[in-house]
Amino acid sequence: MAYNYQQQQQYRPPAPQGVDPNFLAGVFQRIDTDRSGSISANELQRALSNGTWTPFNPETVRLMIGMFDRDNSGTINFQEFQSLWKYVTDWQGCFRNFDRDNSGSIDKNELKTALASFGYRLSDRFYDVLVRKFDRLGRGTVAFDDFVQCCIVLQTLTNAFRHHDQDQDGIIRISYEEFLTLVFSLRS
Amino acid sequence: MAYPYQQPGGYGAPPYSQPGAPGYNPPPGAGYPGGPPPAGYAGAPAPGGYGAPPPTGGYGAPGGYGGAPPGPWGPAPGVDPQVAQWFQSVDQDRSGRITAKELQQALVNANWSQFNNETCRLMIGMFDRDMSGTIDINEFSSLWHYIQQWRSTFERYDSNRSGSIEANELHSAYQQMGFNVTPRFVQTVVYKFDTYVRRSLTLDNFIQSCVMIKSLTDAFKQRDTSMTGTITLGYEDFMTMAVLYKP
Repeated sequence: MAYNYQQQQQYRPPAPQGVDPNFLAGVFQRIDTDRSGSISANELQRALSNGTWTPFNPETVRLMIGMFDRDNSGTINFQEFQSLWKYVTDWQGCFRNFDRDNSGSIDKNELKTALASFGYRLSDRFYDVLVRKFDRLGRGTVAFDDFVQCCIVLQTLTNAFRHHDQDQDGIIRISYEEFLTLVFSLRS
Repeated sequence: MAYPYQQPGGYGAPPYSQPGAPGYNPPPGAGYPGGPPPAGYAGAPAPGGYGAPPPTGGYGAPGGYGGAPPGPWGPAPGVDPQVAQWFQSVDQDRSGRITAKELQQALVNANWSQFNNETCRLMIGMFDRDMSGTIDINEFSSLWHYIQQWRSTFERYDSNRSGSIEANELHSAYQQMGFNVTPRFVQTVVYKFDTYVRRSLTLDNFIQSCVMIKSLTDAFKQRDTSMTGTITLGYEDFMTMAVLYKP
């Protein structure tokens, strides 16, 4: 069997043009509705839009806070927010690139193109599973927030697999409890 | 290494499931005579769910089905009439199968209002072998028995009636259900599910963890044909299992 994930690499969007810190400070203050000086998960969730009228995926919000909350406060201060902002806008750009028909969500084929461009080699059946799992709205397509979660989950799983796959042949041996622990750890 | 998940038939199998009923095969006549209407799975809103307006035709309206008479299916003998009634009240299109959204509504009717969307989707996934995103009445009935059993286990271990189960008791609860996991794994579960940082699990989180462990154990067992407690997995198989049953 071909080793099918070696070219896979973390998606690195182009570096953004410098964003005016004053502009970001204004955004930060609007998001920080209770004026606490830091952004909570709830505030972040309300501020983010997935292009539909449904609340932003809370799991994606937690994943993002976990990623940028460097001081482990559970909230995002202005410093952390600047990195978070870049991350979200990069993902937005990426998402728009793959949403060829500008529908605001990506279908199975668009998802396939996106993930293939990140280096994933996965079967059609797997994409059916992915769309089913990350299509929270039951529309057969994946919205922006779910797309971000999907990419993070795939990345995490691939890293975990690679960690077990010492001889890099695309096949691992895994015990019952290791397997359970790995999947449970996906909750953020 | 010993076979880690002990007694066959453990896994919290409901003791009261009727022979033949909890199978994964749709009963004859159920399911897709000519395919369910598309809305069956496109997530047509559960009627009246959370104050949502009733579906306004089009999607999953009975007419879309060519005016088919109420399906030929019926509850299998042995399905609790109350459970059958909950099922039928949410299976508006009479397709004989319900989606995660409809399941959530059925559980609300049965006064299980605390289940979130994700848990309902995972519950469907416990039985959804053909990836249709739906379950039939027998599967619903099995699921119901599992939930009842999990609840009674929870209540047994929630000795002080606090509405939550402590980390140290959680290990005994899993063991009693036939899930042979270590205290270390239990710590992971508590860490991931304990949103209030009280080192304990509420009932809905407990049940979500049971749904996940059961699905993952079933999938693992299926691949562990020699019962060694360790399996060999290819990349895609691994990814599929993890994505399907992840929280």
